[in-house]
Amino acid sequence: MARGMLRILRAKRSVTLLRGRLDGLEVTLSGRVLEEAFAELEARLAEQPTFYRGSSAVVSFGETAPTAADLARLRNVLGGAGVTLRALVGSAAELQALAALEGLEFDPPATSLSDSARSLVADFAGARNDIAARRKRGESSVRRAKVESERARAAELRLVEAPQGTLYHAATLRGGQTLHHSGNIVVVGDVNPGAELVATGDILVFGRLAGIAHAGAGGDENARIFAVELTPTQLRIASFIGTDEGPKRASAPSPEVAIARDAKIVVLSLDELSRLEPSGASSA
Amino acid sequence: MNARAIVVTSGKGGVGKTTTTANLGATLAKRGKRVVLIDADIGLRNLDLVLGLEKRIVFDLVEVAEGRCQLRQALIKDKRFDSLSILPAAQTREKDAITPEQFGAIVNRAAEVADYVLIDSPAGIESGFRNAVAGATEAIVVTTPEVSAIRDADRVVGKIAAVGKPIRLIVNRLRPEMVRSGDMLSVEDVCDVLSVELLGIVPDDEEVIDTTNRGEPIVLNESNRLRAIYDKIARRLEGELVPFTSFDNQTLFGRLIDALKAG
Amino acid sequence: MHQIQAHDTVIVSPSTSSEQAANAAKAGRAIVVTSGKGGVGKTTTTANLGTALARRGARVALIDADIGLRNLDILLGLESRVQHHLLDVLEERASLDDALVADKHTEGLFLLAAAQAREKDDVETAKMQALVASLRERFDYVLIDSPAGIELGFRNAVAGATEAIVVCTPEVAAVRDVDRVVGLLGNRFRPQLIINRLRPQLVRKGKMLSVDDVNGILRLPLLGVIADEPEIIVTTNRGEPLALRAQNATGAAYHAIAARIAGEDVAPPVPPESKASILERIGSIFGGHRR
Repeated sequence: MARGMLRILRAKRSVTLLRGRLDGLEVTLSGRVLEEAFAELEARLAEQPTFYRGSSAVVSFGETAPTAADLARLRNVLGGAGVTLRALVGSAAELQALAALEGLEFDPPATSLSDSARSLVADFAGARNDIAARRKRGESSVRRAKVESERARAAELRLVEAPQGTLYHAATLRGGQTLHHSGNIVVVGDVNPGAELVATGDILVFGRLAGIAHAGAGGDENARIFAVELTPTQLRIASFIGTDEGPKRASAPSPEVAIARDAKIVVLSLDELSRLEPSGASSA
Repeated sequence: MNARAIVVTSGKGGVGKTTTTANLGATLAKRGKRVVLIDADIGLRNLDLVLGLEKRIVFDLVEVAEGRCQLRQALIKDKRFDSLSILPAAQTREKDAITPEQFGAIVNRAAEVADYVLIDSPAGIESGFRNAVAGATEAIVVTTPEVSAIRDADRVVGKIAAVGKPIRLIVNRLRPEMVRSGDMLSVEDVCDVLSVELLGIVPDDEEVIDTTNRGEPIVLNESNRLRAIYDKIARRLEGELVPFTSFDNQTLFGRLIDALKAG
Repeated sequence: MHQIQAHDTVIVSPSTSSEQAANAAKAGRAIVVTSGKGGVGKTTTTANLGTALARRGARVALIDADIGLRNLDILLGLESRVQHHLLDVLEERASLDDALVADKHTEGLFLLAAAQAREKDDVETAKMQALVASLRERFDYVLIDSPAGIELGFRNAVAGATEAIVVCTPEVAAVRDVDRVVGLLGNRFRPQLIINRLRPQLVRKGKMLSVDDVNGILRLPLLGVIADEPEIIVTTNRGEPLALRAQNATGAAYHAIAARIAGEDVAPPVPPESKASILERIGSIFGGHRR
């Protein structure tokens, strides 16, 4: 499996605005006027419009307390380069509450860099040269990890942080839309063909699942996929992939669950599942 | 580069690029050629659907370009043929996710393991179209005998000719009875306007929509006349001089004689 | 709250400034006609719907946003009358008055043609929004014919619109593409659906998707269902939209759609019946209880 990815930026100012981390980007806004910083961030991201696509960002505000409007602007700037806002770091009293309100993770400053991340920062210099050399040879300058290994790393790093939440999406997902989440995903609505769900935990669809669902994306082979109507294009659990090539069922749809068994993906009715696991299981 | 890399494009949407790519690719594969089909319509992928392979997609064009996987991991082998594979487009991305250079590099890699690489272009003349053309050394332009389709085809022919790539034409969805009643343009009219060498004439067929919905290329159906017609197109592509099926009696024979004279 | 990681460019949202809100009551409606998939009938729909709305007495402007592949002028038979096009106006080489072409069949209907020898990159989104806003001040309806695809041309066509009509044919590939477009448009445009090129005979034989098959996935408010007929190609070639003939089934369907758009209480759209089922129904009216 490919190694985790590193994203490097040449620092132009004494305080680095933007820096690559193992699992995404780190944006440092502490001690800065927010509006200016946002403008500079926007410009820096625009230098390489597709380089950061798909990554997430941790933003540290130091002692500044951003407003909800500031966060909205920040999301906009990041979103323009395909980056999602994942966590806030800072010492302002309101920051933790604001993070919770916005559905973001919150890291108090002391634990923002784990030891492994700190040593990575030291490695940046060598990695930067390596990337430059590869660019010169015309190769892809960044080797990206497959989604599975990315999520696996993320799960490990977060063991000391807040427990994984469940992403609750109360709308239908249309073709081309994706939800990626560390934790479980619940969709109230349909997942149309062409849409994609990727979760490290379980996936539950209160509606028709017709797109692609990947549960246990971090490697958890016990993850499960539930749907009121399970007619997916493709199912994935951990590293197993399955698809239903059989004839279309004539009977009315009923709720079913997909699990991984013997390196295959198996679809069961809820009755059959409870017979398999009579004691039931719950997790926080 | 060993293989011929041919882009199938049109300008106007909905004239049959994807259906043509799928059926022509299948026909070439049946004739023993190694064929790779590439869907260049990022964000609106359909080639996989038309071949019934959508459930087997694991990796796509953009992931190959980004180095997340090898080309051979992304290629889906169509089990109905000995040597037909497709590289699906990405569905959840946009056309700027790949540069013309990256696309060209992928086409070249595919060409190393194939005799024919057919590239299914998106509709229009924007960046998706430009990427698709950049990867190819030849072009097939598909049009229907309708004024708006021909106008768009003309635009596309101009753009491809400007980069010096040879172009041949397929006239799709011809309805001979409408040509006879004067309600549809004839193949002659189309060729006159576009001044491009004719590769094939495909009549309209009710069965086509159903087969694309079910993911079964119509050339698999032995009793459908389109099978023989795509076979002729494949043979012409290989360099054979094959007479055009006469729908219209006299005028087409006249054209045939001209073709023979030209050698 | 979370973000859908859609890797999608943010669609420019409809103008919501307070000044425009104040003018909302007076301003016309700007509706983009789009689909994702090409060749499903966006341009035909724009031409016919525009004709039908104008025939009801509305002032209607049609914009062909398919720069480089213009076709709306052909469908209206106006190609020889176009002197200035959309880019001439956006780049201020011509005024709107100079560029707008009056339709030759229908009073109150005007066309702003696309440029043929230019590229979609040449259109600036903000200028397009401003153009649509100014047209809304002069017209009751501004219909924008979008190009195929979801690239810049599509996004520019959407810019400045406040509503959307998506056109879909009963084919799996078209449904997928429309679903993608609806996902990109989001709720703000309140897209409504027109199903085009239905062939009831094939649906009955199980060889074509039905209206329920299509809208079972798309789940959109249904504006209308239009059956396929050879006449449509003929009228395209001749530049006479079918909505000019109210007797024709397709023309009538477009008039019903126009009425629904205008908010009239028209019966909900019914899939066009094939001849056989019409006979069955007539039979049961005269023949008493057959079933």
